[in-house]
Amino acid sequence: MQNKKTIFVCCGTGCQASGSMKIYQTMQKIISKLDLDVEVVADIKKTGCHGLCQKGPLVHITPQEITYIHVKTTDVQEIIERSIIKDEVIDRLLYFDKQQNAKIQSKNDWSFEKKQFRIALRHCGCIANDSIDDYIAKGGYQALEKVLKTMTPQEVIDEIRKSSLRGRGGGGFLTGLKWSFAAKAQGDIKYVICNGDEGDPGAFMDRSIMEGDPHTVLEGMAICGYAIGANRAFLYIRDEYGLAVENMKKAIADAHARGVMGQNIFGSGFAFDAEVVRGGGAFVCGEETSLIHSIEGSTGEPTSKPPFPANQGLWGKPTIINNVETWANVPVIISKGADWFASIGSEKSKGTKVFALVGKINNTGLVEVPMGIKLREIIFDIGGGIEKKRKFKAVQTGGPSGGCIPESKLDLPIDYDSLIAEGSMMGSGGMIVIDDRTCMVEFARYYLKFLSEESCGKCVPCREGIKSMLKILNDICEGKGQEGDIELLEEIGSMVKANSLCGLGKTAPNPVLSNIKNFRDEFEAHIKDKRCPAGVCKNLTKLYIDQEACIGCGLCAKSCPTAAISGEKKQPHVLDEAKCINCNSCRERCAVDAIRVH
Amino acid sequence: MQIIINGKTYAANPGEKILDVARRNGIEIPTLCHSEALPGLASCRLCMVEVHENGRTQYVASCTYPVADGMEVFTNSEMIAARRKILLALYNLIAPDSARIKGLLARYHVEPFDRLEADPDSKCILCGLCVKACEELGTNAISTLNRGTKKKIGTAFNEPAADCIGCGSCAIICPTQAIEMTEAEGNRTIWEKTFELLRCRDCGEYFTTPESLEHVRKKLGETVGNIEELQLCNYCKTKRAATRLKDGLHLDEYLDSDK
Ligand SMILES: Cc1cc2nc3c(=O)[nH]c(=O)nc-3n(C[C@H](O)[C@H](O)[C@H](O)COP(=O)(O)O)c2cc1C
Ligand code: SF4
Ligand code: SF4
Repeated sequence: MQNKKTIFVCCGTGCQASGSMKIYQTMQKIISKLDLDVEVVADIKKTGCHGLCQKGPLVHITPQEITYIHVKTTDVQEIIERSIIKDEVIDRLLYFDKQQNAKIQSKNDWSFEKKQFRIALRHCGCIANDSIDDYIAKGGYQALEKVLKTMTPQEVIDEIRKSSLRGRGGGGFLTGLKWSFAAKAQGDIKYVICNGDEGDPGAFMDRSIMEGDPHTVLEGMAICGYAIGANRAFLYIRDEYGLAVENMKKAIADAHARGVMGQNIFGSGFAFDAEVVRGGGAFVCGEETSLIHSIEGSTGEPTSKPPFPANQGLWGKPTIINNVETWANVPVIISKGADWFASIGSEKSKGTKVFALVGKINNTGLVEVPMGIKLREIIFDIGGGIEKKRKFKAVQTGGPSGGCIPESKLDLPIDYDSLIAEGSMMGSGGMIVIDDRTCMVEFARYYLKFLSEESCGKCVPCREGIKSMLKILNDICEGKGQEGDIELLEEIGSMVKANSLCGLGKTAPNPVLSNIKNFRDEFEAHIKDKRCPAGVCKNLTKLYIDQEACIGCGLCAKSCPTAAISGEKKQPHVLDEAKCINCNSCRERCAVDAIRVH
Repeated sequence: MQIIINGKTYAANPGEKILDVARRNGIEIPTLCHSEALPGLASCRLCMVEVHENGRTQYVASCTYPVADGMEVFTNSEMIAARRKILLALYNLIAPDSARIKGLLARYHVEPFDRLEADPDSKCILCGLCVKACEELGTNAISTLNRGTKKKIGTAFNEPAADCIGCGSCAIICPTQAIEMTEAEGNRTIWEKTFELLRCRDCGEYFTTPESLEHVRKKLGETVGNIEELQLCNYCKTKRAATRLKDGLHLDEYLDSDK
C-alpha cells in the first residue's frame, strides 16, 4: 500500500514510564473506530527506544516525518484528526531545538540527531520490537544467511578481525582476536554468551537494544557460533530487565519458528540454540568469570585469569562472551563489510559507541556517535549544553569506576585509548555531566561508597583498600581531613588498582585518583581550609547573600525550611548563618545566583 | 622449559605456576592464602610479581599464573615492594593480633598506618582457605556469606553445621588462627558443635572425631587396606610407616592403605 501512514509510539522503558502504553492503546482504539469511515490506515507499532527519553512519550509519523514530544492521551484525538486525516503539523507538540533556536518538525533534524551515527541502535525506534517480520524486512538474518552459505568460519573471523571491532562492554578487547582464540581452542562443545547484565547504574543502552532490537543480538551470536564452532548460547540478562527478558524470549521462539534458529539453519547443517538466564543481581556478576560461575549455578564471584573464558569458560569449555552492543554490531559488519565499518571512527577505535548521556545536561538519553568525536560535540551539540545555563565542570565516563574529564579536555577525541590516558575509561558508555555546583570530593566519595557495597569481598586490596579510602574520604567531607590524606589516598589507590583480582578492584580507585589529579585544589580546600568550594559538604559550607546581586524577590526566603533568610521585598535579603542548615534550597531557587558560598 | 626469575634461569614444567618454581628454588614470595595441598586461590594478592612475556609487562598473582618458556619474572622490584608494604599495612588493620601478619610486617619493614585504626576484634582475613579445604574434603560445611565489607565465613544460616565432621582442617589451615576450636575433657568444639574425641591406638592421645574417621572410611570405601591405620594419630601413623619402610616390610600394603 503506497503512502500508508504509520504512527510510531515509543514504548521503551523510558517512555512507558511516562505513560506511552496508554497513548498506544488510545491511539489504537480511535484508529480502529475511525477506520470504518476514514481512508487513512494507521499502522501502530510498539517501537523500541528513540533515545531522547526525557521528552517522552514520543510519537513519530511517517511518511510525513513528524515527531511529537511529551504526548498526552488528551492529544491523541487531535493528532489523528489533524496529522493523520489531514496533513497538518501540530506546532505545540514539536521539539524546540535550542541550538537552532526553532521548533523542528522531524526528529531527524534535531541537533540531538544530526551528529549521531547509528549502527547498534539502527533499528531501535524504527522497527516493531516484537516482530521478526519487521527485522527480516529490514534485512535481518541476511548476514547469518551470508556466512552460512558463502563463508567459512575462518573467513568470518578474518572479517571481524579486519573490522577491528572492540568489545563494547568495557575492556575494549578486539572481538575478532578473542573469537580466534576460541576457534583454535580444542573441544567439540563450545559456548556463546551475551553479557546483558548492565550493572552500571547510569547505563541503559544494552537494555534498549535487548528491548528494541532483540533479533540483532541473536543474529550476532549465531554468526559467532558458526565462526567458533558453538551450537549453544546463553543470554545473561539483568534480573530487573523484565521487558528485555520477555522480548528476548519471544525473539528466540520466533527465530525457531522461522528456522533461523534450531537445526540445519538455512539448510547449512549448522545448528544453534539460545536460552535466557536471569542475572544474579550484583554489579560484579557482570564481570565475565563471575557471570560464568553464576550461570553454572555457583557463587557469582570472579576467579583469576588465565584461564581465559575463550579457552576455559562455561563448564570448562571454550566460551565467547560479548556485550549486547558488541553483538548488535556484528550482523552489520558482515552485511556491509569490514572495510565500511573500519572507515568509521578513530585510528584504533573503529565504529560507533552508544553513550547514556545523563546529569546536568539539557538533552539526556542514549546517543550513538562515531568514535573519535570530541567531548564538546557530545555535550554541547547533541546534549544541548548544561542545564539552567550553568557552567560545565567535568564529565564522568565509564560508570562507577570511571574517571572525570575536566573542562580543559573538552576537545579530547573520545575513544578507548584517549579515555584511559586521562585516567578514565570507556566502560559501558555512561556519561554523567557535572556542573559547577558539584563537589568533586563528594562525587568521588559517592562512587567509592557504591563500589564498597558492590565489591565481592574476595580479595583484600579491593575490599579493605576501598573501605580505607572511603573512611578517609568520609573524614574529608565531614571536615576531619588531615594533612597527608591526599598522598595516602594516592598510595592505597594505586595499590588497589594494581593488586586487585578482577576489573572491579582494578578500576575502583579511578574516580578518586582522577579527581585528585584534576581537582586537587578542591581536596586541599576541604582538608586545609575546611571549606567546600562547591557548597555541597554540609559541615564545610557557609552561605551568604551577595548584596549587589540580590533583587529582593523573596523566593529564597520562601524556600528556606528554617526561616534563616529575611528581608524587605525588593531589598537585598540577608541569611542568618546560625539558622542555616546548608540544605541549598535557596541556591536552587535564586534566579540571579545571588546566594554564594564563602 | 626454562624461566628467568630475578635474572637467574630455572627449569620449569608445563602447567606449573610461577610460585611453584620460585618456592622449589628457595626464592621468597610471601603468601597468606596458599597451601601446597590446594589449588591457588589468588585471593590474598600478596604473591604479586612482575612478568615480562611476549614484549608485554604484566603484574600477576604468581600462585595462579602459569609458566611459559622464556618468561622473565621479577619478585622484588621497587614497585612490588612499595605495593606490598601498603597491602600488608591493610592486613594489619583486619588481623592486628595475628603472629603470621606481625611476622610479615617485620620481615618487610612495614610501618602500620597511623591514620587508620585497626579493628581489635577482627581476625579473619577472608582468604578462603578454610572453605576450600572443607570443600576439598567433600564436607562443604562452611562457606562465605554476604558480600563486600559484610562478607564473612560461616555455616549455613549461622547454625551448628549439620555437615561438619569436626575434623578441624579449617582451623588448622587458617593463617591467622581465626577459627575457634577448643578441646577439653575428651571433647572438641568447633562451629558451635561439640564432638567426642577418639584416642590414638598407639600413643593414647586424643586425635580425631568419630565423624571424621567415618568420613574417611566412607571416602576410601572398599579400597581401604588397613582400617587399623586410620585409628592412629598422624605422628604414630608416620612412625609405623617409617618402621615398616626400614624393615622393608609390606611396602605395597602401606601404599595401598594410604590412597
Ligand atoms: C565489575 C565488572 C562489571 C562488569 N559488568 C559488565 C556488564 O554489566 N556488561 C558487560 O557487557 N560487561 C561487563 N563487564 C565486562 C566483562 O567482564 C567482559 O569484559 C565483557 O562482557 C566482554 O564483552 P566485550 O568484549 O564485548 O566487551 C564487567 C567487568 C567488570 C570487571
Ligand atoms: S577485585 Fe573486588 S570484586 Fe574483584 S575479586 Fe577482588 S574483591 Fe571481588
Ligand atoms: S577463617 Fe582463616 S582460613 Fe578461613 S577465610 Fe578466614 S583467615 Fe582464611
